[in-house]
Amino acid sequence: MVHFTIDQIRAIMDKKHNIRNMSVIAHVDHGKSTLTDSLVSKAGIIASSRAGETRFTDTRKDEQERCITIKSTAISLFYELNKEDLQYITQEKDKENSNEFLINLIDSPGHVDFSSEVTAALRVTDGALVVVDCVSGVCVQTETVLRQAITERIKPVLFMNKMDLALLTLQIEKEPLYQTFQRIIENINVIIATYGSEDDPMGKIDIFDTCMNDSKENALALVEKMGVKLTPEEKDKETKQLLKTVMRKWLPAGDAMLQMIVIHLPSPVTAQRYRMELLYEGPHDDDAALGIKNCDPKAVLMMYISKMVPTSDKGRFYAFGRVFSGTISTGLKCRIMGPNYVPNKKEDLYEKSIQRTILMMGRYTEPIEDVPCGNICGLVGVDQFLVKTGTISTYKDAHNLKVMKFSVSPVVRVAVECKNPSDLPKLVEGLKRLAKSDPMVQCCIEESGEHVVAGAGELHLEICLKDLEEDHACIPLKKSDPVVTYRETVRDESDRMCLSKSPNKHNRLFMKARNLHEDLAPAIDNGDVSPKQEFKERARLLADKFDIDATEARKIWCFGPEGTGPNLLIDVTKGVQYLNEIKDSCTAGFQWATKEGVLCEENVRGVRFDIHDVTLHADAIHRGGGQIIPTMRRCLYACMLTADPTLMEPIYRVEIVAPEAAVGGIFSCLNKKRGEVFSNNQLGFTGDLRSCTGGQAFPQCVFDHWKPVGGDVFTAGSKPAQIVADIRKRKGLKEGIPALDNYLDKL
Amino acid sequence: MFYLIGLGLGDATDITVKGLEIVKRAKRVYLEAYTSILTEEYYGRELILADRDMVETQADELLMDAENEDIVFLVVGDPFGATTHTDLVLRAVDKDIKYKVVHNASIMNAVGCCGLQLYHFGETVSIVFWTESWRPDSFYDKIKVNREKGMHTLCLLDIKVKEQTIENMMKGKKIFEPPRYMSVNQAAEQLVEIVQNKRQSGETPSFTEETVIGADTQQIVAATLQEMTSVDLGGPLHSLVVPGHMHPLEMDMLRLFANSQHVYTSYEITSKHRDHLNM
Repeated sequence: MVHFTIDQIRAIMDKKHNIRNMSVIAHVDHGKSTLTDSLVSKAGIIASSRAGETRFTDTRKDEQERCITIKSTAISLFYELNKEDLQYITQEKDKENSNEFLINLIDSPGHVDFSSEVTAALRVTDGALVVVDCVSGVCVQTETVLRQAITERIKPVLFMNKMDLALLTLQIEKEPLYQTFQRIIENINVIIATYGSEDDPMGKIDIFDTCMNDSKENALALVEKMGVKLTPEEKDKETKQLLKTVMRKWLPAGDAMLQMIVIHLPSPVTAQRYRMELLYEGPHDDDAALGIKNCDPKAVLMMYISKMVPTSDKGRFYAFGRVFSGTISTGLKCRIMGPNYVPNKKEDLYEKSIQRTILMMGRYTEPIEDVPCGNICGLVGVDQFLVKTGTISTYKDAHNLKVMKFSVSPVVRVAVECKNPSDLPKLVEGLKRLAKSDPMVQCCIEESGEHVVAGAGELHLEICLKDLEEDHACIPLKKSDPVVTYRETVRDESDRMCLSKSPNKHNRLFMKARNLHEDLAPAIDNGDVSPKQEFKERARLLADKFDIDATEARKIWCFGPEGTGPNLLIDVTKGVQYLNEIKDSCTAGFQWATKEGVLCEENVRGVRFDIHDVTLHADAIHRGGGQIIPTMRRCLYACMLTADPTLMEPIYRVEIVAPEAAVGGIFSCLNKKRGEVFSNNQLGFTGDLRSCTGGQAFPQCVFDHWKPVGGDVFTAGSKPAQIVADIRKRKGLKEGIPALDNYLDKL
Repeated sequence: MFYLIGLGLGDATDITVKGLEIVKRAKRVYLEAYTSILTEEYYGRELILADRDMVETQADELLMDAENEDIVFLVVGDPFGATTHTDLVLRAVDKDIKYKVVHNASIMNAVGCCGLQLYHFGETVSIVFWTESWRPDSFYDKIKVNREKGMHTLCLLDIKVKEQTIENMMKGKKIFEPPRYMSVNQAAEQLVEIVQNKRQSGETPSFTEETVIGADTQQIVAATLQEMTSVDLGGPLHSLVVPGHMHPLEMDMLRLFANSQHVYTSYEITSKHRDHLNM
């Protein structure tokens, strides 16, 4: 470990060419945290005053019990590169040719339920160390996190872990081992080729396998040497230890890795140049954009807050983020912009002074005067103004830095209530804190007055609820069984033109609904088709790939729900006067109807609604929102009811890791579920599997896609009808799907 | 029998004698309560307030027993004036209920009091409250068309009574926003803004320094559009008139209401001109 004073650390921060911000990402159990530990012990920075205290990466108690990482933790490392190795750095170098490097490393969780933490970590870093277990190879989560890294334009480097396991425990021969390595590299390259496009700066990246190549050859050489050495001893344990020692001497993992990180990962200067256009929502030539692009500490301040970290002070949080441009300092007066901030509007905007700027090192924090761009730091006092994420700037016309796109969504929900009714205020306060502390979790109040917590998966929810009970609310809680959210959709085109009249009967809407191309909804989800796209470009894409007529594709009014969801409102009218004046009301009605669908008030998915004709009152006063919004909603409901509606359920892909002996148990468990793990019985699947296999199998459920539930929703006793009935009952809605004549008017 | 009775423009006493007699003997009397700010006035009997929701969605209840009994629906102004109650009539006919209408004054004809001839009015428009994102200006186009033909335009000003916010509408909560009535000042401000926008986009606005007339039932003021943004016309229910081509007699009348010397002389010059012609 290197011991530094805050002043020394601060001095390195100014050498922006010598900073490396990186995250460690991998599949669960591939050894990220262990690896990080070894790096920290090699090169971790501790302020002198902290030296000798407890372990640096020490984290939550439940993390240790379960042996998985739950929250990402940032630490700083210091590395002195050999002077002669400096020449290998191909990117722009520090003018003074300094060989001292500051590495800000974020260790992220591997379990899919916590991948929102990974997203938050990737946003503030420029490079990623992809750790792959060389025995199990590339797994689901490896692919997911790698894809995320590439979409954020994070440069990945590969590290193969658990070499000793391959060599000793499994006694793999030279040749197959070599092939395994090759396969892993190929897999990774395929992923990169798939998700990185040609003209993209990421597209040209070759995987740096220096470390890997080295270790491969060396390891093979070693094995040969070992082969001689080992014969007389033959004891496995000793072998392992011996190997470790030899390996360590031969090729110190820490050094090789740090060297690789420093040489191959981009500095903020290099990275921000190509990341700016992905990060910044505003025009690419304003002061903020240029500041980010040039990583200029003297430019206007732009900082992205990616998550909130709980402080020792209950209920307060440090805002954790990356300074992209300018310098942030204690007492600086800033504009704090939440994710809903729109330039030149007052919403979601606060102008406040930064109470304190701090350096976050694992659990510990150190106050620091100011932090220049390219670095990661924490802020005190900002948590009052931001819920989870946000942008901080000093520039009056600054736009937001782009909101992070998570790869998972909160689909598993559970209702909580306090055992003691008088504790309600504590519960509400606790839920607020919980919402802050986790980038993904959603807390909301249902119509029925229930408090609902939604998480990415069972494990995620379990951890959140535990936190809520023990840390945030500190009261005993009652929890309902987890429920899965569904989506409503249609499978056909409306069988008739649907007409709805406004309450004053003067305005009439004629519309039809139709199902979208099955690939379009996912494309909207992952942002390939988005409301922010240039409309001509989007229209071309929609016409080419998703069977939408080219002229119609140019007339998309909006996406919904929330303005971004996977449903479209399209104007296919011909020459209707004053249609634009009711566009706003139509949009509002559309957002409403797609948020609360007709079947059971779940979100709508994969439906396009076409406005075919509109009759309007001659006078603007008689076609205001009060007339149009409810009419629009009724008309959309009528459209859906006549277009063979059904529900969609989330389908999970399950990956089970288990020793061979447990396979029998797994099969019997899977057979019980008929080989298909449906949303409904996915819950509890983990538990079943554990009991079937004596706890040896480790399943990981990854949300895969939405699938329409087969059967007619209007036939009593059919599967979708049953689910709809259950949901309506739970939500306290009127029994039975509302009849069509509630929504459809006669001409 | 189903009666639609106009109440006129002023207060409750504006009702016609015929109307009052029917009100007194009717079984149920409804008072339409969304286009006017007339509060529950008593004609010596109980009135049922019918808000927009009731008229529009519970018309059946309103028409109940009208086959045999006399049911009255009181409308401020004229029953078929600015607000249309044709839907009620259609429903009544549908149920084989006979109906009768008792007319009264409406802003549509009372606007003649400002001196402009009713024959010269073009299409009537409403000026609606603008919101952050909803700023319709179609009424401008209509005023423009009217003026191109030399016609006056009567602008009715927006009334927001019992309006729900979208959030409350979604939650089905019957919480209503406080009532709002547009004043001529606001209407003039919106028109000024449209005129400025049109000018910016290179279009020559069809009216700029021209006079507009603001009126409520008590007071009539002729002023320029700019002046109208600050004229005090008292309590709500205002209307605005954008005059078109004017007859000399109309100008003489307008001079009575001139807000400023500037407006006064703008009419005077032309009337002197008329004197010349007469000489």
